[in-house]
Amino acid sequence: MLSLQHVTKLYGTVIGVNDVSAELDQGAHGLLGPNGAGKTTLLGLITGQLRPTIGSVQVFGEAPFGNRRILARIGYCPAADITERNATPQEWVTYLMRLSGFDTAEAPRRAARALEEVGLGEACVRPLSTLSKGMRQRAKLAGAFAHEPDLLVLDEPFDGLDPIARHDLVNLVRRWAQTRSLLVASHLLHEVESLRANLAVILGGRLVANGSAAEIRELVDALPTTITFKTPSVNNLAQIVCAAGVVETLHISDVNTVAVGTRQVSHLTAVVAKAVHDGLVVSEVIAEDRTLEGIFSRLVKLHRGVEQ
Amino acid sequence: MNDSSRTATPRDQQQNCPSKENRFAAIRAVTSFQLSRLMTRPRLAMGLAGAIFPAAVMFAVTRTAPIDRNMTVVMIYALIPEALCVLGLLVTMCPVVADELERGTWIHIAVRPDGRQSLLLGTFAAAVLWTGSVAFTALILTLLVAQPTQPVGLVVMFTILIGLSCIGRAALFALPAVILPKRALIASVGVALIVEYFAGLLPAVVNQITVSLRLRSLLVEWMEWRQELPIEMTLFVDDYSAPVQIIAVCILVFVLLATAGFILNHRQFPPSVEN
Repeated sequence: MLSLQHVTKLYGTVIGVNDVSAELDQGAHGLLGPNGAGKTTLLGLITGQLRPTIGSVQVFGEAPFGNRRILARIGYCPAADITERNATPQEWVTYLMRLSGFDTAEAPRRAARALEEVGLGEACVRPLSTLSKGMRQRAKLAGAFAHEPDLLVLDEPFDGLDPIARHDLVNLVRRWAQTRSLLVASHLLHEVESLRANLAVILGGRLVANGSAAEIRELVDALPTTITFKTPSVNNLAQIVCAAGVVETLHISDVNTVAVGTRQVSHLTAVVAKAVHDGLVVSEVIAEDRTLEGIFSRLVKLHRGVEQ
Repeated sequence: MNDSSRTATPRDQQQNCPSKENRFAAIRAVTSFQLSRLMTRPRLAMGLAGAIFPAAVMFAVTRTAPIDRNMTVVMIYALIPEALCVLGLLVTMCPVVADELERGTWIHIAVRPDGRQSLLLGTFAAAVLWTGSVAFTALILTLLVAQPTQPVGLVVMFTILIGLSCIGRAALFALPAVILPKRALIASVGVALIVEYFAGLLPAVVNQITVSLRLRSLLVEWMEWRQELPIEMTLFVDDYSAPVQIIAVCILVFVLLATAGFILNHRQFPPSVEN
């Protein structure tokens, strides 16, 4: 469905994305990365707003930039809020449908159906300026899928929404992903995780990891895990774990905190448990976050060279 | 997006890809959308002020001293097809891209199959319609104030001149609007001054590509002033017939719009969210 071959996008001397290569099949995909990582630039390349400086982008086998056949098969919901304040959601989505080439009879029909699906109800005849951000977000989403694209691309679709709106839209998008392709960019991992999508992690314009959540966990499992111990006997604990030969890194941050990096977590915990049994006082053990959020944080650290 | 939706078939894809005929529907949609944006109170007040201004000037002049028909025509020409149309188009055509970027609607339009072209041509049509309507109202009001002889002939002549001025200048302003969207107004004022009012008055080949030369020449032709013109003034008008002048404006409009369309199709705007 989507092929990126050594894609680099430069804005003058600023790098938007840097040598990204990936092949994404049909299905749901999440593009993860902190703000400024290059997600929106990558989506701009995929949705035909931008052309790569180097490399090639192909969607459904063709370059999307200026390609009306491909653009007709893509729906895009950008991150930026709609500031077309005077129009109602019905008028706005109808306008977008007419821009997609639907006639004056079909465009309002599609708009009404999409707005109903996103649950705007009676609010769809009120000016956008009078609607909450969540409702405008729903209107934006309706505009992105009302023409029934084969690939729906969403940029930070749940940003700034209240929990109820977020829950509704996650369900909506998840239903979409059951039958068509979806690409969601977000810096909030739990959102993408809730969509049960494959993950691509982008950082500093580079794709640093790509695969299912489980595959990325496996990748991260091969890296040292940091476990932090709070103990009044920092030197003793450091001595014990070093002697056991399970330490990759060791960092004493203050008088009662020691952070140990290891690939042998079970061995380390066994060594510390024995030390505790022998009288060492350990008041707190903080294992590194093993959720997707934690994995993401570790990939970020890894990319920045914090972890070796 | 309901559960019953299924994977798109080629037939669906064909349905989703707009036909060539529907490109005109998209242009019409942009035109009506842009006109609805122009129907706000501030814009309507601006249009009303523009429509009244030439009549007010004419009223002030005629109260000071009576003027003959030829002078009335020259004043109307200077005030409406030259000044008012240019000002109206600066307001309506220049922000064609800048407005969309500012409102955050550019992305929504750029990802539609014919979005960019429809935006340009639809805004062009809306700008011409809005400015043309204001200029036509101004013409009627001014003629009511001036009360020249044979007013119907003047209405017909000036309506054509207003139409040509609007399409010619709107196409001209489309270029700076797509090349320098964020500085479009300043660039267009520069283009108006340099191209239309400086190059247009140069007795050289360069004035052939200006709208102002065509309009002046048409005015001289239709008012049958050519024989009466002082020899030095003939440098500022063209000898071709009226149909040739009109065709020349149409060709100019086509070339300018095609160039602006080509540039707009290839424009890339960095996403502000991340850059």
